Amino acid sequence: MFEITREPLDPAPLVEAVRRDESGAVALFYGVVRNENMGRNVQYLEYDAYPEMALKKMREVAAEVRAKFPVTGVGVMHRIGRLEIGETSLLVAVSSGHRTEAFEACHYAVDRIKQIVPVWKKEVWEDGEEWIEGHIPEVPSHDGGEKP
Amino acid sequence: MTTVHVRLYAGLQDLIGARDIDMDLPDGATVGGLREQLGEQYPVVQAFLPVLVCAVDEEYVPNEHVLREGDRVALIPPVSGGR
Repeated sequence: MFEITREPLDPAPLVEAVRRDESGAVALFYGVVRNENMGRNVQYLEYDAYPEMALKKMREVAAEVRAKFPVTGVGVMHRIGRLEIGETSLLVAVSSGHRTEAFEACHYAVDRIKQIVPVWKKEVWEDGEEWIEGHIPEVPSHDGGEKP
Repeated sequence: MTTVHVRLYAGLQDLIGARDIDMDLPDGATVGGLREQLGEQYPVVQAFLPVLVCAVDEEYVPNEHVLREGDRVALIPPVSGGR
């Protein structure tokens, strides 16, 4: 299950989507909106995304996770639009036969999502606002993607 | 001449003041050429250009990628980050 939505995130369907009968563990990560960043009081966050590409990149991250870890399921949901303090912006669920792999794979998935999925956040303070500059996605050094 | 559809996100959308712009480029223009021309047309984005990544058809592409008529180009600022 991979989703970009403006609605509040509900983890239950995501957990059920990644769970298999072979799964002994599901690791679930919540990214939540924090009330401060670098000493400033954050009022709320505004998320923007390139939804079609974000979904494609989420699926790529899931494929990487499956190649590196013995997982039984991977799912990602990202909320966009205006989010208040305490609300959930990101859910990543990974199931595996055992807990160690589930934790490790979930950690890896979250890190990769932050690197390559085109989602942006703007912090809004009492006295201003700013788009937060995070990671510059890696670009293929050679242009192999040419289509006929 | 080649016309491409450019979509802008996050801080870049705020700077240029539009979500979508069309750009007319010389035939055979590359992504690098588009960046240069964008900087000339919208000097306000100059400082942004070095950290911008381009995507065509939902895939990140390097500067030498050749653009074709009607391509949908997304200009991607650094993504959301955190640690």
